Amino acid sequence: MTSSKDIHAAAYPAIALDPSERLRFMNCHSVTRADTCISCGMCESLCPYGVHRRVEGHAKILPPDDRKCIGPSCSVNYFFCVANCPTKSLSVGPSDNSRSLGDPRWPADVVLATWRMAETGKPMSLDDPANCGLSGGGFDELRFVLPSKKTRYDPEDISVSVDLNRRGTGEKITLPVPFYGGGMSFGSISVHTMLARLKAAKTWGTFICTGEGGYPALLVPFKDNIVLQIATGLFGVREETIQRSRIIEFKYAQGAKPGLGGHLLGDKNTPDVARMREAVPYTSLFSPFPFHSVYSVEDHKKHLDWIESVNPKAILSAKVSTPTDEDMVAVGSYYAGAHIVHLDGGYGGTGAAPEIAKKNIAMPIEYAIPKVHRFLEVEGIRDEITLIASGGIRTAMDVAKAIALGADGVVIGTSELVALGCVRCGNCESGRGCPRGIATTDPELERLNPPDWGAERLDNLYTAWRLQWCELLARLGMEDISELSGRTDLLRYRDRPAKEVGR
Amino acid sequence: MYERYHIPMKIVEPRAPRIPEFTISRADNCINCGRCEQACIYGVHKRSESDPREMADPVNHLCKNCFRCVAECPQRALTMSNGAEYCSLGRGVWTPLRISTIWGEAETGKIPVFGAGYSGMFSGPHFDGMWTDMSEIVRPTRDGIHGREFISTSVDIGRLPLSLQFTPSGALRTELPPLLEIPIPMVLDLTRLRIKSEWMIRGIASAAKHMKTYVFADIDSLTQDMLSDYGDCIVPVIPPGKDVSTIELPNGTGMVELTVETSWKNDSKTLLSRFPEMVVSFRVKARKGIEDTVLEMLDRDIAVAHIDYDDDGEEHGASKRHASESLLAIHSKLVSVGRRDAITVMAGGGLAAAEHVPKSILCGADIVSLDKALLMALECRDCVECAASSCPVDIAAASSEWVEGRVMNMVGAWRDQLLEVLGAMGIREVRRLRGEVGRALFFDKLEEEFKAALVGGGRR
Repeated sequence: MTSSKDIHAAAYPAIALDPSERLRFMNCHSVTRADTCISCGMCESLCPYGVHRRVEGHAKILPPDDRKCIGPSCSVNYFFCVANCPTKSLSVGPSDNSRSLGDPRWPADVVLATWRMAETGKPMSLDDPANCGLSGGGFDELRFVLPSKKTRYDPEDISVSVDLNRRGTGEKITLPVPFYGGGMSFGSISVHTMLARLKAAKTWGTFICTGEGGYPALLVPFKDNIVLQIATGLFGVREETIQRSRIIEFKYAQGAKPGLGGHLLGDKNTPDVARMREAVPYTSLFSPFPFHSVYSVEDHKKHLDWIESVNPKAILSAKVSTPTDEDMVAVGSYYAGAHIVHLDGGYGGTGAAPEIAKKNIAMPIEYAIPKVHRFLEVEGIRDEITLIASGGIRTAMDVAKAIALGADGVVIGTSELVALGCVRCGNCESGRGCPRGIATTDPELERLNPPDWGAERLDNLYTAWRLQWCELLARLGMEDISELSGRTDLLRYRDRPAKEVGR
Repeated sequence: MYERYHIPMKIVEPRAPRIPEFTISRADNCINCGRCEQACIYGVHKRSESDPREMADPVNHLCKNCFRCVAECPQRALTMSNGAEYCSLGRGVWTPLRISTIWGEAETGKIPVFGAGYSGMFSGPHFDGMWTDMSEIVRPTRDGIHGREFISTSVDIGRLPLSLQFTPSGALRTELPPLLEIPIPMVLDLTRLRIKSEWMIRGIASAAKHMKTYVFADIDSLTQDMLSDYGDCIVPVIPPGKDVSTIELPNGTGMVELTVETSWKNDSKTLLSRFPEMVVSFRVKARKGIEDTVLEMLDRDIAVAHIDYDDDGEEHGASKRHASESLLAIHSKLVSVGRRDAITVMAGGGLAAAEHVPKSILCGADIVSLDKALLMALECRDCVECAASSCPVDIAAASSEWVEGRVMNMVGAWRDQLLEVLGAMGIREVRRLRGEVGRALFFDKLEEEFKAALVGGGRR
């Protein structure tokens, strides 16, 4: 048997190198020049990054362009402007902009690092602090125990692919990367964003879930890369959509709002969206919870049998949240015939959800993965089911940690949006939607992000991530990412008592 | 005819200027090109009305931190920063986010719904290190607030008989103690407010009346007018030091509250014999060993133990146990003697967000009493020094209609969020949530399991 590595190694796209100025507005550090400056030009001649500049023929030096500044860590360099200024007029410190960007889960550093990777395709080093958030728990306190010695390796020799189907039935699907894109519906995000994600998915041979709103005809050419989601509202679920999809996902619950149905607030339900959902425009669409056709695991089997009779080749995923008994739910899904159990943890993304549900209902994914993984092992069915984790997986290292905790692969969502320029302001739900044109249905805002530009940024992000995984695996002496699954022995957990964790 | 309980809500605008969460400053090198005005979809940037050649100061409270204007300014003249006043709001569990959330709830009556995933800390102390369970598919469930099936939030106040006895002829032999029922597990507590005017008392009492719940107020602060208007929802609170053998109680709710002091055992005997038809509540400051005090109350047939925690939800004195632990200890003790329902446990203090209601109940309270949150609904800025004369929002001057609207909006939004949690858990009445720790996930326990799971890993 040829390994998936042989099939896909040649298919990785080359890094696109088309920098986009648009997202280079953020200054992490602010450089201030006091009035005592005598415009001697010393700083200009020293700074190799171009922070200080004087226009030819001008007496005064321009205000510092601190976007290019590398911050106080520059003080180790001989050319550090602050130390060399003869009148001591310069100072450097964190900027107000960067302090008001991001949050503990997505600090400014992580947002900016994601932008950088989306722009350049260059991976972060494995010990960069921007591989983690600052939320004080879970992935943010987990580290890999790495051998200090760096090894030479060729990324082409390392496989990061994952098999989605480990059962005897249905199509065999192998993803060349250990992730696919999470469900974001037509209505929650713009068609341009959907197109960008799908184009990138097509290039990489992975999938994107279209969420529960169905999808416009424009996306049909990408049908081989679409995961069709069947959610409680059944929006966009028709015989032909089931028949043309290779993966069908039943969304029993979503991590950001477990136990609640989908929310699409009226403002974003434009006539196009409403037509797709067969609803009245500008009304709020709250999907019910749960499936009223499913009140037991037998009913769940009935659901899967329904899809199997419409599309026998499709592989079936059950997306569930993380209650205390999620291990039992996973086993039930297996016996009902699912190929994939997809656990969505509480800190996952959403287009709109009650704040109370995001933090307080169901546990974070970090706790759920090892629990389900072990339980499936004890049941003796671990090797026949694909365990996919999602909900708060932000960086390549989060992906690797989720896999080391016991998952086979992950689903990502917010990271892709951040790559497209999301600043995590959390205003996707109402009005015209996302002011940055990502999660919006407003035709004018949508135009801010052309699909090709977006696809290129995602290509770059995936490239950078893949190289990070390759380096990690090489350092750990592995050749295939499947070797990492369940290797909790490679993780170190910096534990702190609950009282010290907090705001 | 069945009537569905509903709290009417309407928008009640704030009286004071809004405190912006973000502020945008415009530097001198602005060339008034107006690109920011085009970029901003929230209307933060506008041209000056007096001189259209210039940009007006940014309307900061409309800013939602999207960075569009900062990114698109050709002069890089705009800077986003966190609002200084916003950041300095509140203290302890009363964080700026919680305070501004209450303001929003009191204004609109809506459940806060936003886009993007959770953005806070992974976990935290006490209630923040606690998650409620949810049910996937297995249990029969319902549609929450958006659906058809009914979720009851009614609770009883009083001593529930643990069994009923009948005479041979089938008549009820058990003497039923006085019992009250309220449709929400929340009562309003005026006694702990740092500042109160007659309008506030009337407004809050009127809100309680509309919501069919109770308001706890000092007996001395009540006028005859108030009692005739809202008497059936006011629980008079008798301050320490009053002689209960002569005290006269207004007609009304059928409930009265005293404070636990050295003489409380005699007081309770006197009161119960003088007013056998009354539900008698005792308010006690939570301290170390509170569970034993509650057990003593139970033995003296006191109907309600009203436990006071401090504003951070912690016990008074040196123990500093948080309500989440303390309530669980009380609940477990009552369960261990097999008489949990013979007393109603009411908990107040430190309830700063909607999720604290279901979490307190999960830990063992029957009812929560809201105190500081009421002031927050009235736009309180939580100053360190508090006096009516120096109040930045002049809270005492607010009209009773405005107070009523704000309080009903907040309580209504909190009830709707309680319904969301109950719905997600697949629980159809709030009585069954009480003490259901099996349906809650605690940080310490999860953490222990997680660390144990990390140890066992290895090559598959």
